[in-house]
Amino acid sequence: MLIRLDPSAPEPIYAQIAAQVRSAAARGELEPGERLPAARDLAESLQVNLHTVLRAYQELRDAGLIELRRGRGAVVAAGAARDLAPLADAVQALASTARRLGVPPETTLALVKEALR
Amino acid sequence: MTPTPTPARAAARTAAPVPHRAATTLLTLVVPLAVMVATVALALAWRDRLPDPVASHWGPDGVDGASSFAGLLSIVPLLGLPAAVLAWWFAFAAGRSALSRRTAAAVALWTSTFTCALTVVTLSAQLDVDHWSQARDLDGGLALTFAVPVVVALLGAWATPGDGPAPAASPVPDTAPRLPLPDGGQAAWLRRVDWVHPGVIVALVVGFSAFMGAVTRSWWFPVTVGVFLLAVLLGLSGWTVTVDARGLVAKARLPRPRLVVPLDEVEHAEVVTVHPLREFGGWGLRVGLGGRVGVVVRSGEAIEVTRTGGRRVVVTVDDAATAAALLNTLAARARG
Repeated sequence: MLIRLDPSAPEPIYAQIAAQVRSAAARGELEPGERLPAARDLAESLQVNLHTVLRAYQELRDAGLIELRRGRGAVVAAGAARDLAPLADAVQALASTARRLGVPPETTLALVKEALR
Repeated sequence: MTPTPTPARAAARTAAPVPHRAATTLLTLVVPLAVMVATVALALAWRDRLPDPVASHWGPDGVDGASSFAGLLSIVPLLGLPAAVLAWWFAFAAGRSALSRRTAAAVALWTSTFTCALTVVTLSAQLDVDHWSQARDLDGGLALTFAVPVVVALLGAWATPGDGPAPAASPVPDTAPRLPLPDGGQAAWLRRVDWVHPGVIVALVVGFSAFMGAVTRSWWFPVTVGVFLLAVLLGLSGWTVTVDARGLVAKARLPRPRLVVPLDEVEHAEVVTVHPLREFGGWGLRVGLGGRVGVVVRSGEAIEVTRTGGRRVVVTVDDAATAAALLNTLAARARG
């Protein structure tokens, strides 16, 4: 599981972590039952506070993507099994189209938000 | 096209001699030989107090087999010598990684002390008896025979000199795969890899201990062996592999041994395909014949890191391409 933190991004660190776990699951890189790295390990690796990672995991649990079990840590929930690969492909296509047309990310996001309403 | 620098780099790499050859010779050859010579000398000194032939086999009902004195003593050089010589040769020729040298020392010391302890315990149980069938039981001695070699092997691995810091002098080659990173941001890649499901290990060890208990009709020995096997197998079967600003780390449930490649010692990383049995002779924390070391718990995709000092480290893990690209990117960024 790859996590990249962008200090210049407006989202807080915990939200960046949660978003990347979410997209890894959407791309099918995380299978149901798979154990996420221990929060302590991830916090050490990213050189962030343990509570930042725990907050990201709690958010993912509230969204039903993972289960937090005593002793076993964070496990990808069975409900996360929905195959979102077509959506991931479509997003990829959207991103490359936006790049090709030179549309700035903010405009693309605004269009997507509009379409989702 | 620029001329390819590969042959020159390969030559420079192999030109560096294998480090710590004196310590390797001491731990894999001199100490095991000394233990074997001492054992043979002790056995010869005891010869007048031993029956002829000597008791050589114990079953559930006590002693049940005999052999000649020379035949019993011959297992010391027959098992101990080849193990010591092979381990010495391997570590002398290919011991660029500390793990290779530690493994060689542990193998040589375990094999020699095990055969020697077995011989001494066997003979001491029949000192001053008239006939081999009167030999005493081995119980406590048997425990020593299993415990002492493990302790000596661990001491040898601990006493083996480690790898000192060896920062890379050359930049990460442009051909090594990269991935995009935000400026100044942290990045980490973590993945778990399991040898087999822990439940399978528990079932196998419990079954094995129960079988051993039924055969030997004792409980303390199978239980001790079972607990030892469970600790080692469970402790070293599941690994967490991490690539981050510290480099590559593979750690198991037990805190040691673990595999660490500091970021400044990474020359480059790539994806390879690994066949554990063929290339490493088995599964787990392994040393390969070419001097490669690694965590090899399944066949297939693996990350291979070329480390300074001509060392190569392999870890079988899914999504190795991302791990390799991140390690190259972080190493290049750290080197400026």
